[in-house]
Amino acid sequence: MAKLTDSNSAGEPEIAVQPTTYNSSDGAYTTELKFTETYKRFTDAHPAIREAMCLKAEYPSYFTAIRDDDLFAGRIKHGRVGFSMDEWGPTAFGYYCQPDEIMKAIEDGLVPPERKDAIMEMAAFWKHEDTSSKLRASYPKEMAEYLPSDDWMGSSGIAFPLYRLTGANVNFKELMVLGIPGLLRKIRDSRAKAVQSGGDHRLFEAMEIAVDVLVDVCKYYQKTAEQKAADVRITDSKRSAELLKIATTLEMITVSKPKTLREAIQLFWLYSLVGDIRNYGRMDVYLGDFYANDLRSGMLSEEEALKLLQSLWQLMADRNTRVHGRVIIGGMGRPNIESADKFALLAMEASRTVKEIEPQLSLRIYQGMNPELMEKALEVIGEGRTFPIIYNDDVNIPAVAKGFEVSISEAEQYVPFGCGEYIIDHKSFGTPSGVINLLKALEVTLHNGKDPLTEKVAGLALGEFKDFKDFEELWAAYKRQVEFFVDFMARQEELEYKVAGESAAFLFASMLYDDCMERGKAIFSGGIHCLGGTLETYGNTSAADSLTAIKQLVYEKKTVTPEELLAALDSNFVGHERIRKELRECPKYGNDDEAADDMLLRVHNHVCNYVRDQKKKTGLHSYSVVIINNSANTLMGHQTAASADGRLSKTFMNNGNAPSSGNDAEGLTAMLNSIVKPDPSIHAGAVQNMKFSKDLFVNKRPELKALLETYFEKGGTQAMITVVSKGDLEKAMQNPGNYRHIFVRVGGFSARFVELDRDVQLDILSRTLY
Amino acid sequence: MSFADTGMVLDILRFSLHDGPGIRTTVFLKGCPLSCKWCHNPESQSYKPQLSFDSSKCTNCMECVVACPTNSLSSVNEKLRVNFNLCNACGDCVDACPRDAFKIYGKLWTVNDVISIVLKDHAYYKKSGGGLTVSGGEPMAQFEFTLELLEAAKTHNVHTCIETCGHAPTDRFAQLLNYVDLFLFDYKETDPDEHKLMTGVSNRLILENLNFLYNEKANIILRCPIIPGVNDTKSHLSGIHALTEKYPNLTAIEVLPYHSMGKGKAERIGLNFELSDIATTAPEQASQWLSKLKEYGCEEVRLG
Ligand code: SF4
Ligand code: SF4
Repeated sequence: MAKLTDSNSAGEPEIAVQPTTYNSSDGAYTTELKFTETYKRFTDAHPAIREAMCLKAEYPSYFTAIRDDDLFAGRIKHGRVGFSMDEWGPTAFGYYCQPDEIMKAIEDGLVPPERKDAIMEMAAFWKHEDTSSKLRASYPKEMAEYLPSDDWMGSSGIAFPLYRLTGANVNFKELMVLGIPGLLRKIRDSRAKAVQSGGDHRLFEAMEIAVDVLVDVCKYYQKTAEQKAADVRITDSKRSAELLKIATTLEMITVSKPKTLREAIQLFWLYSLVGDIRNYGRMDVYLGDFYANDLRSGMLSEEEALKLLQSLWQLMADRNTRVHGRVIIGGMGRPNIESADKFALLAMEASRTVKEIEPQLSLRIYQGMNPELMEKALEVIGEGRTFPIIYNDDVNIPAVAKGFEVSISEAEQYVPFGCGEYIIDHKSFGTPSGVINLLKALEVTLHNGKDPLTEKVAGLALGEFKDFKDFEELWAAYKRQVEFFVDFMARQEELEYKVAGESAAFLFASMLYDDCMERGKAIFSGGIHCLGGTLETYGNTSAADSLTAIKQLVYEKKTVTPEELLAALDSNFVGHERIRKELRECPKYGNDDEAADDMLLRVHNHVCNYVRDQKKKTGLHSYSVVIINNSANTLMGHQTAASADGRLSKTFMNNGNAPSSGNDAEGLTAMLNSIVKPDPSIHAGAVQNMKFSKDLFVNKRPELKALLETYFEKGGTQAMITVVSKGDLEKAMQNPGNYRHIFVRVGGFSARFVELDRDVQLDILSRTLY
Repeated sequence: MSFADTGMVLDILRFSLHDGPGIRTTVFLKGCPLSCKWCHNPESQSYKPQLSFDSSKCTNCMECVVACPTNSLSSVNEKLRVNFNLCNACGDCVDACPRDAFKIYGKLWTVNDVISIVLKDHAYYKKSGGGLTVSGGEPMAQFEFTLELLEAAKTHNVHTCIETCGHAPTDRFAQLLNYVDLFLFDYKETDPDEHKLMTGVSNRLILENLNFLYNEKANIILRCPIIPGVNDTKSHLSGIHALTEKYPNLTAIEVLPYHSMGKGKAERIGLNFELSDIATTAPEQASQWLSKLKEYGCEEVRLG
C-alpha cells in the first residue's frame, strides 16, 4: 500500500485499498496487530487519512455474526486496540489500547506463543501513543500535581479527569435523507470545493474512505446473511427467507437511500456501530415517516413494525453501552408530529415488551401534546419498567436557550444523552470529561487542605476550621477550594478537545455534525457549531446538608465546637453519637424546608455559575455542570469520610439532585417542592429519581397524574420513575434468582436490582418509597 | 394568642391519599372521647403529649436514665424499663438517647403554622381535587382549634374534610357546616348497648348528629370499620344497610378493614391492647364483607 503524505496532490487520492479480509477479532490479536501496523505506517499522514486507514484495518473484523433472532445485521465486539470516540474502559478513547487485559491474557497463556512478542511490543508501542496518554502528557505541571490520579472509582480525591468524547448525537435525519450514495455525493462536492479553494481536501478523502468502510460492513453482512440463508434453506425456510430479506436490505442501502422502515433502521444501526455513536437521538423524527409510509402502503402491519423495533431494541441492549443508548421520542420542534407520535407509541410498546436496560427510552412532554403518549408512558412505567424517562419541554426549552445561549428554536432540539446531559442535536458537544466531589471539597477544606482518609495534601490549605470566625469565612474557603479544581477541569476539557482534534478527525461524527462539511474542518478541529463541555458534580446534597448542619450547630446554636465536630467526623462518630444525632436532626434538603433548601441553592448556584464562567477563561462555547448519576454517588462515597450531615464514613452520598437517602421524610409533595427549586437554566441536566409504589400506579392513577402534572407545572425538569415495593427488594436480596425482573434506576441508568452490589442495593432500599 | 389558636397535634401527613378525595394533607389531632378497643392509633386517644419507647432500638446504655428528671427510667436485668405513670413527657430522654429509641407524641401547634404547611401543597390539591383533612383522635374534641383551622383553609380556597366519630354536641356540627366540604363520618356499631361496650359511649348522640348533617344536606361518606369477631355481625351489617336506606343521598359508604398496627404502638406507649390476638384483615375477607353487604341490598359500598 502506498504511503500517504500530505504532499499528495489534489484529485483522486492515491490510496491503493487492499481487498478487505473478513477475519474477526480472534484471540490471536490479528486485527489489533494489523491496526497497529496501519497506524505506524500512517503515522505521518494527515490525521484524517490515518484514521480512515485504521478504520479500514479494524472493520469489519470487529463485527460479529448475525444471531438467530436478529432481524437486522450489526453486532460488534471491540478489540483490545482500536479507535473510538467514546471510552473502552476508564482511559481508553481515541486511539486506545487496553494493556492490562492484554497482559492478563498473556499471563493466562491465552495468546499463541509465536505471537507473544509481537503482542507485547504492540502494547508497549501504545503506552505513549494512545490518545489518553497524549492528553495526560499535555497537562501543565500544577494541574498534574493536583490531579494525580485517573482512578476516580478507586482512589480518594476532589476531582478527576475522564478520558472520553462521549455523547455525540449525529444528524441521523440527514443520513436518512441522503443515504449512502447521497452522503458520498455530498462529500465529493465538498472535496471539489476544498480543492478549488485550497481547503483541507484530505479530510474529505478520508471521509470517502470511511463511507467505504461502512459499505464494506454492509457487504460483509450481506454475504454472511446469504450464506446463512442458504445453510438453513431446508431446515428452516422461514428463517432463510428472513435472512435473505436482511441481505437484500443491506444491498439496497448501499445503492440507494432508504425507502422503508427496515432499510432505514439497518442503515442507522450500522452507522452508529461503525462510528461508535452510542446515543440515538430523536428517533421518532428520523424514523417516524418511514413507519407511517410503510403502514399506509401496506408494506408493514403495526405488528410487523413492532417486531422490527423489538429486534433493534435487543441489539441495542446486547451492545451494552452501560450508560448510553438514549432514544428520544416526543417533544417540541418535530416537523412530523403525527407520524412521530405514532412511532413514539410503538417505541414505548417495544420498551414495555423488551425488558432490558437499553435503550434508555426518553419521552419529551409538553403542554398540548397528544395525551395518548403520557397514558402509554404511565402504563409502561407502571409495569415496573423504568422507561420512558420523562423530560418536561415547557421548562427545559427555555432553560436550554438561556443556559446554552441559543435561540428557542435551537433549544427545541435539545437531547439528553448518557446519564442525562443535554446537548443540541448534531450541533453541539458536551462530553462530561471530569468529575468533582463537592462533599470531598468541603472535607478537605475542613481539614485545612488534607484528605483525612489518606492524610495527604489533597487541596488548598485555606486555614484551620477553628480559625474561621463565622460561617461566611468557612463558606468562602469552601468556594475557593471548589473553584481551584473547577479551573483545572475546564482546562482539562479544552486540552482534551485539542489533543483529540490533533490526533484524529472522528470522521463518522464529522460527516453528520453541523457545520463540519461546510467549514471543511473535522469536528474537534474547528468544524463543530458549538463546542461545549460539562462537569459532573457529585455529593451536592450531602455537601449542602453538611453546611446547613455546621451553620446551625457550630455558628448559630454553638452547641458543637469546630474541634468537637472534627473529632466526631475523624472517628466516624464512634464515641460521638450525641453529636451525630444533633447533626442528623438539622434540617435536610428535600423536605420543603427553607433553611435546608436555601443552602442547597447556595451550593448549586455557586458551582453552576462558576463553572459557566469558565467559558470566559477557555475557548469553550459553554461549560456546564451536570448533576447526573450512575453509581458514582456510591463509588465516590466509598472514598469520602464521615460528613456533617451525619453520613457515616465510606458510605454512599446523595444521588443526583435528590435528597440524601432516607432524608426526605415529609412525603412526596414536599420532596417535589424542594427539587423544583434549583434553577435549571444554569446547568446542562439534572436527574430526578423518584420511586413510586405499585399501589399508586394501580389504585391511585388520577392522583398520580395530578401529582406529576403539578410537579411539571411547578418547574419539574425531569422524572425518572421506578415502581417497586420495598418488600420486593428485600425478597430480591434474599433470593436473587427469582427477582431478575426488578429494574431500578441507579441515578442515570437502569439496572437489574439483583446484579447490583450489596451496598448499592442497601442504598436503594434506604431511599424512601412512596 | 388566644387559647384556641393552638392545638395538640399528633402528626401532619402530606401526600395523604386515603382520607378523602385527591391529594391531601391530613392533620391528626390528639385526644378522643371514645375508647374503641380496636383503635388503630392508640397514641391519639389521650389529650396530652405521650412518651413512646421502642425497646428494639435500645442498647441499654443508660444515657436516658441519667437525663430523666422524674426518675421514670431504670434498668432492670439489663433492660430499660419505663414507668409511664411518672413520666411527664418532658422529652429530655429523646435528646439523650443516641439510638432514637424515644419519641414524644403530641406537640402544640398554632393555626398559622399548620396552615402554612397545608398551603405548601395547594397546587397539588387544585389539580387532584384534594385538600385538607382534619382527623384525629377526634377533631371535634379540640373544637375551637379545628374550627379555626377549617375557616383558615376556606379563606384560602382549600377543599376541607373532617374525619369524625360523630360524638360531640350537635350545635358544634352546626357551626362547622360552612367550612366543611365533606364529612367522613364513622359508623361503628348498630346496637346502642354493644356500642357502649366497644367504645365507651352510646351511639345515640352520634346518630342524632348524622341525622342532623344529612338533613342539612352535608356531603357525607359513611366509614364503617369492621373488626373480625367484634362487629362483623349480621345485625350490624344489616344495620349499615338500613342506614343507607334511610339516607339514600350519602356520598358513599366505605368499609374499613381492620389492621393490627395499633398493637405495637400501644405497647410502646405503655398501654395494653385488648384485641391483641386479632390479625390484620386479609383482602379476601374484606371482599366477603362487601359481598354480604351487597346481598343485603347495599349496592354502593366500597373499600376505604
Ligand atoms: S439512652 Fe436509648 S439506648 Fe440508651 S438506655 Fe436509654 S433508651 Fe436505651
Ligand atoms: S419524657 Fe422526660 S419524664 Fe418522661 S421518661 Fe423521658 S426524660 Fe423522663
